[in-house]
Amino acid sequence: MSEYEKQLTEKESLALITQMINKAKDSYHDTGTGAMMWGAVIAICSLVKLSEVHFDYRLPFDIYLLTLLAVIPQIFITIREKRERKVKSYDDTFMDYLWLGFGICIFLMIFIINSIFHALQPMAAEYKSLAGQSSSFNLSEFIAPLFLILYGMPTFVTGAACKFKPMLWGGLLCWACCLIAIFTTIKIDLLLTALSAVAAWFIPGLIMEKEYRLYKKQQILLNV
Amino acid sequence: MFKDLDPILHSQLRLAVISILISVKEAEFTFLKEKTNATAGNLSVQIQKLKDAGYIDVIKQFKDNYPQTICRITRQGINAFEDYVKSLQTYLGQKIDL
Repeated sequence: MSEYEKQLTEKESLALITQMINKAKDSYHDTGTGAMMWGAVIAICSLVKLSEVHFDYRLPFDIYLLTLLAVIPQIFITIREKRERKVKSYDDTFMDYLWLGFGICIFLMIFIINSIFHALQPMAAEYKSLAGQSSSFNLSEFIAPLFLILYGMPTFVTGAACKFKPMLWGGLLCWACCLIAIFTTIKIDLLLTALSAVAAWFIPGLIMEKEYRLYKKQQILLNV
Repeated sequence: MFKDLDPILHSQLRLAVISILISVKEAEFTFLKEKTNATAGNLSVQIQKLKDAGYIDVIKQFKDNYPQTICRITRQGINAFEDYVKSLQTYLGQKIDL
């Protein structure tokens, strides 16, 4: 009987099953590229918007259009990562749908907010003509909390499901910033959004990237 | 009285392969080779045995002009693995009691 047909004792069998399940679990490491990119993009957009509000100037385009552009490299990153993967776990499919759902929610939210703005414009104009001054109500101050709720959800779930604490805490921070942003001015809201993006995605992305590099090094050493 | 352990699974390399496949949706041949430290020839033989038993599906395709073999556990394989683990637990539990 060859070594590969070797019959095992019951204890050896259980030990082998445990060892292989652990090896399979430890087999995939995210490159962190996508997380870093989105963290940077959202933080840059928020900070540029903040500078527009603070220094009272307007760019010829909406800086948040950068998020649409970022979808293109994200598609390439996803394709490349999927090609490199030698194994597909059940978690991967769940995560793919979770983040796809998040993306859809974000675009729906943008659409809803724009619709509300359009609906409120005639009312605001009427108020101004009747009262002789603009209303103190500013819808823009309530936009950041809505997005921060959404940012927190997939980040928190990913962190919890993958037992990756930086993302778990990042998700919780998004929700904490969401609560604070309800009571703060638009400038602080934008700062909180930038902080959340850095804490929830950019920093965890950097940690993932470092772990991925380490894993790759170990794989090379094992294969030598 | 102990239930006989499934002879298809009660072998080192086949059990290693099926234990990996139970934890993932699908895995490439090269991944299985890397994790089990087996040679390509032996791994091929054991994978064929698992396939013949209906425990795994083997998909052969091309990726970037290179042949790629993907393995995936079947429902029958999952049931067989669960029965195997239950038998092991029963056996070890009763053995300890003795």
